[in-house]
Amino acid sequence: MNGIHDLGGRHGMGPIDIDPEQPIFHADWERRMFGMFILAFAGGHFNIDQFRAAIEKMKPAEYLESDYYEHWLYSLETWCKANGSLTDEEIENRMRKLSKGAV
Amino acid sequence: MPTMFAAAGVDDLIKTGGSCRVNADIKAHFVPGDKIVARNINPVSHTRLPQYVRGKHGTVERDHGVFVFPDTNAVLKGERPQHVYSVMFTARELWGPQAPEKDKVYIDLWDDYMDPAG
Repeated sequence: MNGIHDLGGRHGMGPIDIDPEQPIFHADWERRMFGMFILAFAGGHFNIDQFRAAIEKMKPAEYLESDYYEHWLYSLETWCKANGSLTDEEIENRMRKLSKGAV
Repeated sequence: MPTMFAAAGVDDLIKTGGSCRVNADIKAHFVPGDKIVARNINPVSHTRLPQYVRGKHGTVERDHGVFVFPDTNAVLKGERPQHVYSVMFTARELWGPQAPEKDKVYIDLWDDYMDPAG
């Protein structure tokens, strides 16, 4: 797919961050996202190429303005919704609880 | 439905990452030293062939072995295992005569991404 993800050779994106000291996770939610990915992948919700393909279908502006692990979340939600193991309603409910301070 | 992993294998999956290498005896269509041209394909589904090498000439540097083909695996149309090669493109081939003379870009390409350069 000739999507916005195929950034090779494009100008204006700024320097590539090659700091070897940067942390593996920048925030705790990224650590949880990694764990959720591994479990969903191991559980057969998607293969690795399906996982990448869903990320490529993000809206271009959204793709560019979101973090690496937000891309993962988008794909995980896509495939779990596609196979019926997750619904939009469940996501909305969870977000509502989190906004009220749930963990 | 895609493959499920046994719970006992999840630790290794995290530590070493999953591999798409396939242990199968598949014919290699190219050998190191071969001159190739990357195919100009524009599928609307997943591909790992970057736009900026399509139609460009390169040289096969090494054969990595046999791997799942992402383009078909992404749409559950089979793993279609095939050889993957490190292919060298000069910066000038990719970016034109003003690119640095000695710079090179190495890209891993599947058999189905390439034709022999005539």
